[in-house]
Amino acid sequence: MAAKEIVELAPLNLLWAYGALLLAAALAWQRRIGQARDLLWGSLRMVLQLLAVGYALRWIFAARHPLPTLLMLLVMGGFALQIMAGRLRHKLPGFYRIISLSLFAGCGGITLYFCLLVVVPTPWYEPRYLIPLAGMIIGNSINGACLAVERLAAEMTERQAEIETALSLGASSRQACQEPLRNAFRAALLPTVNTMAAMGVVSLPGMMTGQILSGTDPLIAVKYQITIMCAIVGSVALSSTLLLLQGYRAYFTDAHQLRY
Amino acid sequence: MVAAGESVLQLDGLGKTRLNEQGKEIAVLRDVDLTLQAGRITVVIGPSGGGKSTLIRLLNRLEEPSSGQVLLNGRDIRHYDPLQLRRKVALVAQKPFIFCGTVLDNLQRPFTFQGETPPAADDPQLQELLALCQLSRDWLQRDARSLSVGQQQRLCLVRSLATGPEVLLLDEPTSALDRPTVVSLAGSLREACHKWRLAVLLVTHDLHLAKIIADQLAYLEDGRILEQGLPAELFARPRSEALKGFLAPPARRQD
Repeated sequence: MAAKEIVELAPLNLLWAYGALLLAAALAWQRRIGQARDLLWGSLRMVLQLLAVGYALRWIFAARHPLPTLLMLLVMGGFALQIMAGRLRHKLPGFYRIISLSLFAGCGGITLYFCLLVVVPTPWYEPRYLIPLAGMIIGNSINGACLAVERLAAEMTERQAEIETALSLGASSRQACQEPLRNAFRAALLPTVNTMAAMGVVSLPGMMTGQILSGTDPLIAVKYQITIMCAIVGSVALSSTLLLLQGYRAYFTDAHQLRY
Repeated sequence: MVAAGESVLQLDGLGKTRLNEQGKEIAVLRDVDLTLQAGRITVVIGPSGGGKSTLIRLLNRLEEPSSGQVLLNGRDIRHYDPLQLRRKVALVAQKPFIFCGTVLDNLQRPFTFQGETPPAADDPQLQELLALCQLSRDWLQRDARSLSVGQQQRLCLVRSLATGPEVLLLDEPTSALDRPTVVSLAGSLREACHKWRLAVLLVTHDLHLAKIIADQLAYLEDGRILEQGLPAELFARPRSEALKGFLAPPARRQD
């Protein structure tokens, strides 16, 4: 990469940056919004977490060994599942197994595909590529999966009359919830589709901005951005399809009855 | 014509319990015995909340009973494939759901569910069914949701009858209809019942409908069948205080 001189941020510069945050906290305190504490506490967490990740990544990149890389990916996946569990636990019975399996297959499959066929670093598990790539894929797939599950749960309640009419006319449970499945899939993909359409016109995507800031030629950054968007769309679609095709079963008995 | 038909569906000590909000078990149906015969219309009347809808949902296995069994042609319905069972035992719900699309789309839906070639618009059997239920064949290409409530109710009837069931279950089919429409729908039902020797079970709190259509009548209250017999007898000489009370103010009950 044609890396030019990068402006290194000295601790003093960082402190100045933190000044903007203190301004926000001061405003919140002065306006009696009562968020000053949350703001400061959140910012402290952010700094600590990012520093930890920074050191971990530096160590993993230096090691260039598949094991720590894999471990890092597992930790990321674990946190992602935790976040989802908080949001969705009550919405999908039998949730943990279904979601972790479909996310694992969807994200894992797409990440491998992109590492082996598209980006092709040497070695293929080169952490500098694998970890950010997987991170973005997992983050977006989680979001898609959440939307899919939330939408499915809402539709299954809303469309109870439709579903039971279909069942009474001899439909299987899969046929009876065709519409909810279709809408849930659409809901999962919608944000990604919208982001793609607005990309470059409304906003410069974060990853691309990052690469440009670190001195990468904009055209190279653009190519990476296109690649990553393709990966995200593929993995959101794949993992939410797997998730929905398993998830709808949780709402029915083996005798094609709605569970109550 | 409606002499003693052979028994098609037999309800044998049927019970259903549910958990209420406090997590306590309450009985929705208790020990219900009833026999539906081919070519005859059985009407179950009773106050709302008495378990009528639940009763119907147990018969095509939208729900499972907590006790007792249901026999279709002498065989426990749990031994049928559920999808096949629902084809033999058709159910028209109280608030019928019309699928998005034309009237014809709606009528073809059950066939596509079951992986069969759906009948075309000029299919003679479909035409016959439409005529019997007084739905004009010119409406086949109309948006089904633009029909009136009464027409939608007929559409649901045709849709359920199109695949040739043996038993027809109807939950409050006239709750949204005015008196003349009720009378004409009842006529269609009676004709369909005789023509295809259907065993029909209709639950309603509409006494007028029960009077004009029932071959056999049962009174269900609080999950229990308190009386059953010929409608003329039950209407003329109710034995239980509950049924007497239910029949007493007819003017207020019919709307």
